[in-house]
Amino acid sequence: MVEVSGSSRPGGSRLPLAALLVIGWLVPGLGHFLLGRRVRAAVFAAVILTAFGVGLALDGELLLPKGGDPLSYLAAIASVGNGVLFVAARLVDFGEGVVTAPGYEFGNTFLLTAGMMNLLLLLDIHDIVTGRKDW
Amino acid sequence: MLDHLTLMILDALLIAVFFTFLWKKERRERWLYFFKVFGALVLGAIALAWLMFPFPRA
Repeated sequence: MVEVSGSSRPGGSRLPLAALLVIGWLVPGLGHFLLGRRVRAAVFAAVILTAFGVGLALDGELLLPKGGDPLSYLAAIASVGNGVLFVAARLVDFGEGVVTAPGYEFGNTFLLTAGMMNLLLLLDIHDIVTGRKDW
Repeated sequence: MLDHLTLMILDALLIAVFFTFLWKKERRERWLYFFKVFGALVLGAIALAWLMFPFPRA
């Protein structure tokens, strides 16, 4: 497991990489916040929360894998990429999608976009922790 | 209900802001990059819509 001390990550967390990745996945922006990238964390959180909220408001669906539909597996990865937002929405029966709603396809697009963006943030967290990115 | 063009612009805006802060550090290069990505997404989508226009739906 990669563990980097705080001294080589100015303003950063002493948490191990795996923990930061899990935290970053669960709460959009929190991984960057713990690494001391507070402005970027706020922007990322705002963008992902907005995309997720708009997606739900448009009756989009948090897609899950469906047998016989290989693309649904990719969509499910993007949906689950939303972390705790995905779990919370599912628990209160949001994100089930209304296929007949005018905004359904757009809602899906926003929800999938939010999840993919959050997953991309994990790569950025990895690069920061391993020293490939110094800002 | 927001219309499709507005929603597309909102999606492009969010994506452009996200990638700007993901990949660019300095203020000036961030603005340049933001306008490039945002413009490419919006104008590209409109161009694609025009290209698809002659094709029938069915």
